[in-house]
Amino acid sequence: MRSLLNFLERYSNLIIFLILEGIAIYFLSTRNYYHNARAVNSIRWLAYGFEERITNTRNYINLRDINANLAAENTALRNSINRLVRNNTSTFYSVSDTVYQQQYQYTTARLTSNSVNKQKNFFTINKGTRHGISNDMAIIGGGGIAGVVVGCSENFSVAMSLLNLDFRVSARIKSNGYFGSLSWDGRDYRTTILSDIPQHVTVNIGDTIETTGYSAIFPEGVTIGTITGFEKPGSDFYIIYVQLVTDFRKLQFVDVVANKRKAELIQLEEKIE
Amino acid sequence: MINSVIRYTVVFILLVLLQILLFNNIQFSGYVNPYVYIMFILILPVEIPSWLLLILAFFTGMTIDIFTGTPGMHSSASVLAAFIRPSVLRSNSPRDGFEPGAQPSMLSYGFRWYLIYATLVVLVHHTALFYLEVFRLADFFRTLLRVLLSSVFTVTFVLIIEYYRKGR
Repeated sequence: MRSLLNFLERYSNLIIFLILEGIAIYFLSTRNYYHNARAVNSIRWLAYGFEERITNTRNYINLRDINANLAAENTALRNSINRLVRNNTSTFYSVSDTVYQQQYQYTTARLTSNSVNKQKNFFTINKGTRHGISNDMAIIGGGGIAGVVVGCSENFSVAMSLLNLDFRVSARIKSNGYFGSLSWDGRDYRTTILSDIPQHVTVNIGDTIETTGYSAIFPEGVTIGTITGFEKPGSDFYIIYVQLVTDFRKLQFVDVVANKRKAELIQLEEKIE
Repeated sequence: MINSVIRYTVVFILLVLLQILLFNNIQFSGYVNPYVYIMFILILPVEIPSWLLLILAFFTGMTIDIFTGTPGMHSSASVLAAFIRPSVLRSNSPRDGFEPGAQPSMLSYGFRWYLIYATLVVLVHHTALFYLEVFRLADFFRTLLRVLLSSVFTVTFVLIIEYYRKGR
């Protein structure tokens, strides 16, 4: 007994160290981003008020940029409305819900926290389950894709940013339709890498990269960025560098996209597998 | 005693606020992320019991974790830094040892001593932190570069703060 007590006394620091590291590593090891986001959600109520205030200040400072972006977006939307209206009158479709039923629904949200300097970046938006947000919804902002919702609380949602080593999205070259997998390599927050494009395809610098509709998360044809360079390594595939249109450092307002037919699609795909 | 508890609490709050409001918002490429809050572990008295130091470090790390949304990452790195701090102090002690009640400050032991002390602790902390963050050994040297660059900035800020603390 005495020797046990002696032992405990001599190594008490080491034991405390190991216990504390154990707790920390336990938190870390639930790294699966979904669980992570849930854990984060449950303890982050404390930080939200704070972050919101910081973001408010930053928004205020950047009002000029935000206004310019909104104006540009308005113009683009107005143009597309004009096109749509002309389409309707020139063709013969009768307007019925089965044809024009919207597959994707958009809702606007504001970022309450964001980062670009980590290897696994997440951001938080100010809408949650109460506003109809749920997991795996796509987030589009700044003209391109921004992330995917990975956890929701009542009023907030945490999203995995495109700037996250775990993020993958199916993307294609707009001009020829070849698709590959787009991910971030953790270096520059403006550049991502498109892989799995075979080397017999002609790739041009300046080509637009957009989403495919294969994931049931992102709508088809959302711009991601433009090709700024490519390499031909030893394998059969290119390494293509894609400059993002979304500037994550300026990202403040985003659109959350709900795919209304996703449940149906997944159900069908599961039935076949 | 009570007095110093209050003083350290105030310093703790100031450092955490500084980290969250200022340094976490420095997003100067992915290479420079100074984590100045580690200074709280640097300034605690030399004679503080090791167990208390470890628990305080864990608490500090956890506070930062809550605000950055990375449970476990900062706590684990801070606890490691606190664990090696006594060894750093011992191996780097002045010729006639520390006086009772001594504080590891630039004022008492000089610039050179403080620089070595701060650099060692910050390096251990940042190495643990950045490798835990990527959690893979691919890109080993790029992570190393991030560790070194961020450490340089952290130590610089720590020295600046310490310099002004000295004036008080």
